[in-house]
Amino acid sequence: MDQNNSLPPYAQGLASPQGAMTPGIPIFSPMMPYGTGLTPQPIQNTSSLSILEEQQRQQQQQQQQQQHQLFHSQTLTTAPLPGATPLYPSPLTPMTPITPATPASESSGIVPQLQNIVSTVNLGCKLDLKTIALRARNAEYNPKRFAAVIMRIREPRTTALIFSSGKMVCTGAKSEEQSRLAARKYARVVQKLGFPAKFLDFKIQNMVGSCDVKFPIRLEGLVLTHQQFSSYEPELFPGLIYRMIKPRIVLLIFVSGKVVLTGAKVRAEIYEAFENIYPILKGFRKTT
Amino acid sequence: MNNTAASPMSTATSSSGRSTGKSVSFAAELQSMMFSLGDARRPLHETVVLVEDVVHTQLINLLQQAAEISQLRGARVISAEDLLFLMRKDKKKLRRLIKYLFIRDYKSKIVKGIDEDDLLEDKLSGSSNTNKRQKFAQDFLNSIDQTGELLAMFEDDEIDEVKQERMERAERQTRIMDSAQYAEFCESRQLSFSKKASKFRDWLDCSSMEIKPNVVAMEILAYLAYETVAQLVDLALLVRQDMVTKAGDPFSHAISATFIQYHNSAESTAACGVEAHSDAIQPCHIREAVRRYGRKIGPLSPFTSAYRRNGMAFLAC
Repeated sequence: MDQNNSLPPYAQGLASPQGAMTPGIPIFSPMMPYGTGLTPQPIQNTSSLSILEEQQRQQQQQQQQQQHQLFHSQTLTTAPLPGATPLYPSPLTPMTPITPATPASESSGIVPQLQNIVSTVNLGCKLDLKTIALRARNAEYNPKRFAAVIMRIREPRTTALIFSSGKMVCTGAKSEEQSRLAARKYARVVQKLGFPAKFLDFKIQNMVGSCDVKFPIRLEGLVLTHQQFSSYEPELFPGLIYRMIKPRIVLLIFVSGKVVLTGAKVRAEIYEAFENIYPILKGFRKTT
Repeated sequence: MNNTAASPMSTATSSSGRSTGKSVSFAAELQSMMFSLGDARRPLHETVVLVEDVVHTQLINLLQQAAEISQLRGARVISAEDLLFLMRKDKKKLRRLIKYLFIRDYKSKIVKGIDEDDLLEDKLSGSSNTNKRQKFAQDFLNSIDQTGELLAMFEDDEIDEVKQERMERAERQTRIMDSAQYAEFCESRQLSFSKKASKFRDWLDCSSMEIKPNVVAMEILAYLAYETVAQLVDLALLVRQDMVTKAGDPFSHAISATFIQYHNSAESTAACGVEAHSDAIQPCHIREAVRRYGRKIGPLSPFTSAYRRNGMAFLAC
């Protein structure tokens, strides 16, 4: 049942500094495709490089080697890894006018951490919620309040809403594999209770990431220059709500420098959105 | 709907009832609010007291008019529809209110998706209140819209000039601040009447009224109160700017006598002008702003009696 093999096998051995399960993914700028021959591949290998971009990137990487200890590419050889995209020339992706204009600058060196992943799966059979609530551990069911069983497991620490139609929502995981693993655990619990549960159409619906740019941001300036994307009503909410069009991500930007990114379906969108916004935020840095 | 005792300068009957001293006063919050809206770092206490009085009086009058409309409808509570109805004349302010409602819905939708506990809470409560407020406003305006111009506001994407000016002013103000000042500024910007809902309700003191506002109406009232303060600061800053006689300004000799009367006659205009820029807003600016706002300008204005006011000029609607 492994439809999406999310990680290439070699990458699981690499430790990432922040303790996340997957290695940090390096440089993401609007001009950059998702994979090069030098780094572990993320899930989507959709675009390929142009030779010009690759040369630029290599130059930049050499300049920044001392800054970005996060990038494991320095320890790997330059030979393309199995499953990597070859360096074929391809047409440059055009900069769409709706992307906020960013200078092609160095990357931030900050990787957003995933905080929450919401996924859904179809267990493929009708369920009797009362039976599940009575016999399963850590399950609550209050039909007057809500028509689903709320089940929790400790490892990975997640919560699931199980509906009588057989559909299930799983929230609280910190990575895609954890979410999938947790969903399978819930499915197994249901299976053990005697229902013919399957694991159909597992899909990640939303991913939330957060990070800290470590400098204060002048939100009044940002809302003025990026009016069509942002709204800032401090009486309502202390953060600025920035609706990025490409990728379609909503960012909550706070004065302290903390940024929350939500609305992603894949991890790469969060990284790309952050790399898009970082130069803009640097421009509105509040200096003393 | 004839409000004869509707001068904002005189203490209205409601506030004179508290002549022993207002038990609930928003003076401290208003001070921060005015700073965040463009006033100086420490607004004057007299100005704050005056602004509080003006806002309070206007809100009470607004509530009374809304109560009368409710009665016409035969409803038992003042709801948001009555307030929307009162605002129907001024399209720009109405559009700002609707945008505010929309942003409110949108923000709760996003914040819900972030925190998983919030997500569960929302599912448990079973309410689908995405876009609830905006939908509601749209439905109501649909029902009273005769010419279609109210509904056109929802699609309308014009730039709100007043809001634009406020944003630019805030941007200018914050550009020169340092981190500590800016942090304080941001905190002041987050103050609003809706955060202190219970205090706001006590301040309004609706206990003497037969028809009381419901929760949504209170939210809108809190927003209107904030808008009133913002409008007052906008207008007062404009008045203050006018007071400075600029060299080469052809109309400086034509400033009206009543205007100069408010001005402190002891000091010369130039000296006052210089310090007015760095000083806080004075009560005289506020009074002049309200006076100008309430004055009827039109072909028949010389012939209408100055002593009979036909209703208060609401700053917020």
